[in-house]
Amino acid sequence: MGGKTEKSHSIKSDFSMLAILIIPIAVAVNFVGGQLASLLKLPMYLDCIGTIFTAMLCGPWVGALAGGLTNVVTGIANPISFAFIPVNIATGLVAGFLARANMFSNWWKWLVSMVILAASSIIVTAPIVILVFGGITGSGPSMVVAGALAAGANIMTAFLSGDGIFTVIDRTVSYLLGYLVIGVIPSKTLIKFGCGENYIKKASVKKSA
Amino acid sequence: MWREKLRIRKSNQIQALHPSTKFLIVCLFSACSLILGSIKMNGYALLIIPWFLIVPLLCAASGIFMKFCKAFAKVLLVATMIFLTQSFLVRSDVVAWSGGVLKIYEKGLQTGIFISFTILNIAGIFTWMFQTTRNKEISRALEDSGMHHKAAYVFMSTLQMIQVMGQNSKTIMNAQRARGVETEGGIFVRAKAFFPSLVPLILGSIIGAEERALTLESKGFDVNGKKTHMFELEPSGYEKLAASIAVAATAAVLIGRILVWVL
Amino acid sequence: MGAIIELNNVTYSYPLANECAIKNVSLKLEEGRFYGVIGQNGSGKTTLCSLIRGFAPSFFRGSLTGEVLVCGKPTLDYKPGELSLKIGYVFQNPFSQISGVKDTVFEEVAFGLENFGVPVDEIEERVIRAVELTGISALAEKNPYELSGGQQQRMALASIIVLEPDIMVIDEPTSQLDPEGTESVFEIIKGMKDRKKTIILVEHKVDLIAEHADEVIVLDKGEVIRFGSKDAILSDETLLECGVQLPNIALLGNKLTRSGVPLERIPITEQQGVEIIGKALRTRSWCK
Repeated sequence: MGGKTEKSHSIKSDFSMLAILIIPIAVAVNFVGGQLASLLKLPMYLDCIGTIFTAMLCGPWVGALAGGLTNVVTGIANPISFAFIPVNIATGLVAGFLARANMFSNWWKWLVSMVILAASSIIVTAPIVILVFGGITGSGPSMVVAGALAAGANIMTAFLSGDGIFTVIDRTVSYLLGYLVIGVIPSKTLIKFGCGENYIKKASVKKSA
Repeated sequence: MWREKLRIRKSNQIQALHPSTKFLIVCLFSACSLILGSIKMNGYALLIIPWFLIVPLLCAASGIFMKFCKAFAKVLLVATMIFLTQSFLVRSDVVAWSGGVLKIYEKGLQTGIFISFTILNIAGIFTWMFQTTRNKEISRALEDSGMHHKAAYVFMSTLQMIQVMGQNSKTIMNAQRARGVETEGGIFVRAKAFFPSLVPLILGSIIGAEERALTLESKGFDVNGKKTHMFELEPSGYEKLAASIAVAATAAVLIGRILVWVL
Repeated sequence: MGAIIELNNVTYSYPLANECAIKNVSLKLEEGRFYGVIGQNGSGKTTLCSLIRGFAPSFFRGSLTGEVLVCGKPTLDYKPGELSLKIGYVFQNPFSQISGVKDTVFEEVAFGLENFGVPVDEIEERVIRAVELTGISALAEKNPYELSGGQQQRMALASIIVLEPDIMVIDEPTSQLDPEGTESVFEIIKGMKDRKKTIILVEHKVDLIAEHADEVIVLDKGEVIRFGSKDAILSDETLLECGVQLPNIALLGNKLTRSGVPLERIPITEQQGVEIIGKALRTRSWCK
């Protein structure tokens, strides 16, 4: 089983039975993570942990669906979050492609990945903020922050306060959490996920070290 | 009969409309809002203001006014914020109103009205739809309209999973507290509480997913044939009427728009 | 009668595993009989069940040699869903067996039949029968998540029974239940036995196996070390070395024999114990 087989990725094969069952978990983790972060009054949103680890495990398409669905479900209670569906889709896609390109394998690649992940969120958020919210930039941050918070559009806050570093930290912590979880998933479970194999080698290397 | 008990009975005829009819209304209403928003009077999109009145009226007629108010509060807050920031902070040459140090510029007021009321209209009509429709109905309607049963499963399962996991996270959090994990104090103390609360939750769910995958297979989930449903959507009988009204109103708005344009 | 399940020289290993989970197993299981599967943790009990149901290798992947036949047909040749109607499978954890999309126990039990496209009138009849059989009629309108573990496990059984499979594979259904839940689950399994289903049950509580099973399969390190009548197997103390538990009454019987009480045979259930030991006590020829 150790031999490296060339893996073909078709979108259809990405959506295995297990992937289908991970999506609801991912969305719920996004919710719970966000809730827990605000309950513990952490200065972060941590509301895309589920999207990121799903993308890492099952690839970009499943990750994107998990991200998009998060906002669809939030939208049932607050339709404004529909406007931000593309942001979470982008997070899932980018995290998935980075994982597939093995961009988390050493520290500098990893750092670059975090910046890319944060940047993609900001880039996708910008036009939405401009189109939907009239491009309020810079001025009156506190009011805008309140508005954005109420909208549940957390990325927007980070974007508006012009604080890219903030997003990078948020994504980094989310990623670390995802990585931590994947690290403790038994390898016989990991093998069943589309991209699970990538993490098995690392885990065994870590143990022997 | 058990199936009788599963049926969702609604005494209110608007509430009882088929979800697809409601969705048609939502789309047409939003389209009208955008069309009306493009009619500017002195640069102001004034028509979308009275258009918004339809939303609370529709909700009142559907018998969900209080529910609507509660759900809509967040949207209202956002819209107000946008309106205020736009009107007070976007500067232009013409001052529309001034009171002491505060000045409202024309340009800001124009965009403020347009954006905030467009948001109110679209978010409002969506809120109406979601407050009058149960998730179960949405899921059934999606499946009826050709969505794959697996996708419909993901949608419903997500809604349940959020509830279940929310409850579990509370249980775990309390257990952590009882074990002496600090949940208050400095930022690092609180951050340290975050990980042990979340990681077992996620891990447990993922491992459970494996067994659930097999369970679903045992129950024929991956059979690609026609499915039956114990729960069926029942039209209220007023679907055609409601759709006709919505289409007629949209046509009127569209004609009005063209007239304004031509004249 | 021919074998309903047949394993011929089956060897199977999970992906990434160095050792085989099942080694050279050949078994013939007959229709309408109740088989208890015992062995210590990691001896391959669950793997055996997965192989019979075809989850291994279709879901678990890994490598399989030999063949597993269900009703004379290799499990690998079955179409998706086809095997679900032949073999019902109940798992350990009652919680993860909930479909996660239904609001009531009634709908939860109906879920499988909906997937197979059974007409709604028939579904209703069959669900009513299944909830009555499992004693959860009173809970039918409750939310599946509000039930206790024992009730959830009974619901899990109901939602498999409703599919009316000929074979039931039940993997440690009571390991997470309290004594009361355990008892109610066994009542149901007994009912299945009376209805001539073929039952394959993995269970740690050997007393229950001794009570209900017809035959016993003992696994150790992936191999079938014993297969046959429960009376002979469950009274054999040499099995203790393989980490297999024996019924307390059998241990007592063995001790009595060693200390000179001549028992007709070693009892394995309480009922037998009362009879056999009672008889020995009454004759008392061995006294003095």
